[in-house]
Amino acid sequence: MVKSNNSIQSDLGKAKGLGSAHTGTHHWLMQRVTAVASVPLVFWVVYSIFKLQGADYAAFTTWLASPVNAVLSILFVLNSFYHAMLGNQVIIEDYISCRWFRMTKLIGMKLFFIALGVACIFSILKISFAGGM
Amino acid sequence: MAKFILPKKSKVKKGEKFDADHDGDNTKKFSVYRWNPDEDENPRMDEYNINLDECGEMVLDAIIYIKDNVDSTLTFRRSCREGICGSCAMNIDGRNGLACLTPINEIKGDVKITPLPHMPVVKDLVPDLNHAYAQYASIEPWMKTDSPAPTRERLQSPEDAQKLNGTDGKGPSGCILCFCCSTSCPSYWWNPDKFMGPAVLLNAWRWLTDTRDEAKGERLDQLEDPFKLYRCHTIMNCTNACPKDLNPAKSISEIKKLMVERHS
Repeated sequence: MVKSNNSIQSDLGKAKGLGSAHTGTHHWLMQRVTAVASVPLVFWVVYSIFKLQGADYAAFTTWLASPVNAVLSILFVLNSFYHAMLGNQVIIEDYISCRWFRMTKLIGMKLFFIALGVACIFSILKISFAGGM
Repeated sequence: MAKFILPKKSKVKKGEKFDADHDGDNTKKFSVYRWNPDEDENPRMDEYNINLDECGEMVLDAIIYIKDNVDSTLTFRRSCREGICGSCAMNIDGRNGLACLTPINEIKGDVKITPLPHMPVVKDLVPDLNHAYAQYASIEPWMKTDSPAPTRERLQSPEDAQKLNGTDGKGPSGCILCFCCSTSCPSYWWNPDKFMGPAVLLNAWRWLTDTRDEAKGERLDQLEDPFKLYRCHTIMNCTNACPKDLNPAKSISEIKKLMVERHS
């Protein structure tokens, strides 16, 4: 429900508000592109988990150190976290109407996913180049 | 911040009961939302038991019967009583629709009638639609051209006209602005101040797809916004609710396609 306010601003003035942000299309498109890209990547991850069942640490690091697996893992991490970030943004924008709280949460959430993504990629690279130890 | 407790005097209570069935065999109970801004009371659901043999077959006939014969204080909007003015849009039996197009006999059990959801209530079944109308005005729903006005009508091919009317007569120009769709949309419930809502976006598409209009870029510029357009998550309650069987969800998808098209 539109909150009643005692301002004598016209209805049209309220409806127009601050106008259009001229963004949103890239966000919308990327959400769909990353969703489609995640289909083969998730298949590959699930397949790899099954294949590596019961493998010890050495076998796993050897597997991850191979260029194909390392690159696919990094792609999976980038794609998943980017998609999660875009999706969380939509949820926050939908449900949090308080302006400062929405802004704080959006920035915090994005920093969280960036930090998590960087940590994952660093781990993969470390295992890849330095053998994991 | 989010509020977890309803404001004072917003809880709907049980109301009065009016027995006006005149001992008929064909009776039906109508449970109707009542709220009067002049009284400092909670909203209530009044119950009217009426004899269907004494009134017409649509829900609107029943509430007109109630106003004429049982309780003259019942307030609602109505005009054309044939589904073209959009005035009698309300929530009937949990579904947004036009009272004049909803047959009473299609509703099982008691008929529960409330105003369109999530709009401020003026009185009883009358919602305050000023903001929705202002949003409609904000998309400038008229033809905009730069080329000089012709001395006769602006021409359009039958195929292009069909984009507005639809091959089945259910194109975007069939919208009667009853706002059944917008008020059924959860995204519009959460962000009505910024999200345009399906009714207004369907009309935005009506002008975007009109080959005579020359302001497509300007119209897309105005709509390209995370809230104005992209609050639509294709929930499709709008298409489900439309009493004219139009498809606002499809119109919004077409707008999103145009947005991508001009970026790529």
